Amino acid sequence: MTPSDVLSRGIARDNPTAVLLVGLCPAAAVSVRVIDSLWMSAGIFAVMLLSSFCMTLLARGRTNGGEMTPRAAAGGWLAALVISSFLTASFELVLLRAAPEASAALGIYAPLIAVNCLVLTVIDETSRAPSPGRALLDAAGKGAVFAACLLLIGVLRETLGAGTMTLFPLPGFSGTIEIGSLSQDPARAISFAGGGLLCLGYLAALARMVKERRP
Amino acid sequence: MSWVGLILVFSLVDNVILSRLLGISPRAAGEKNARAALWLGVSTAVLMGVSALAGWAIDTMVLEPLRLGFLRTPAFVLSVAGLAYLLEAMAVRISPLLVRTSGFSLSGVALNCATLGIVLLTTRGSYTAAESLIAGLAAGSGFMLVRALMTAISERLEIERIPRAFRGFPLELISAGLMAYAFMAFDRAFLARMLGG
Repeated sequence: MTPSDVLSRGIARDNPTAVLLVGLCPAAAVSVRVIDSLWMSAGIFAVMLLSSFCMTLLARGRTNGGEMTPRAAAGGWLAALVISSFLTASFELVLLRAAPEASAALGIYAPLIAVNCLVLTVIDETSRAPSPGRALLDAAGKGAVFAACLLLIGVLRETLGAGTMTLFPLPGFSGTIEIGSLSQDPARAISFAGGGLLCLGYLAALARMVKERRP
Repeated sequence: MSWVGLILVFSLVDNVILSRLLGISPRAAGEKNARAALWLGVSTAVLMGVSALAGWAIDTMVLEPLRLGFLRTPAFVLSVAGLAYLLEAMAVRISPLLVRTSGFSLSGVALNCATLGIVLLTTRGSYTAAESLIAGLAAGSGFMLVRALMTAISERLEIERIPRAFRGFPLELISAGLMAYAFMAFDRAFLARMLGG
């Protein structure tokens, strides 16, 4: 399998949010604003990538003739939890220093990256990868799809639910784009928790439909 | 906040699944065995209560005095995983047959965002030890209630004609979304007025 195949596996077939249906908690909860979706995606991407790399290095010493012993597998899970939780704590500190408003907006969802189903699944899968480079490519592919899905949900929910798009503020740009008449009369229900679940449900159905139509 | 208010807030108003969107997974409503579902629900509620209490103890007795607040996430994650392991070992000792037949695993629940989410909510909410325990148990009961409702809905939907793409988890998510709107009726202000506080 070439590196591009490894990367495209994450992008094309193992769509993490809609098809694998893991990592749903933060995806639905923080996607009220586009900027929060971007910060969350960045956090998950970084933690997933670095944890995968660390786990691949650790896994090299845990295999016995290519086979992982049960004790090594159990130890691997504990190591995965320790690594992902410490990396998440580091992300929280960086976020608090770099963007305090984003840190406040993510609230309890930033620490929850440590036990995100997608992060733990990817760590588990990549710890069995033959090389750190391949593990990183695999994690990067899945992380990119996750970020794209989260961004899509964020755009949908903020556009329909508030009639705005909140991005990073720049000199001369407040960071908020108002979208025509939607900002006057938005469908506020989409920005509530139920709206996040509805978006995810329809996205999961759409992904299944696309997958079934593919030859 | 009164005890009744705390229970109502954590079980209904701030429901861990419908309001916080934590603990949703493709297996969330897939439990068909009623006895196993009850067993898992009670175990989850106990795990959430005990984890919230442990989180309070770790935060106020160790991390705050030693100014190690930046270690909250690893400390909470590892304490929840350890407690789940202990509770599972106890469950196996109390009723090995039920654990084997129901096929439940508290380790899975521990790695679920819901348990850690409750620990984070109670520690950030500055509750006392008893309040943290009650809040955790109430959140676990709310979790169990919503899972039971989702199971009932998916059973009803099994006999309906549904487009193939929506069958299973997508429809469960949509049903949960509609249920979340219905649960918005449990408003904090409404409950405060009803309870006279």
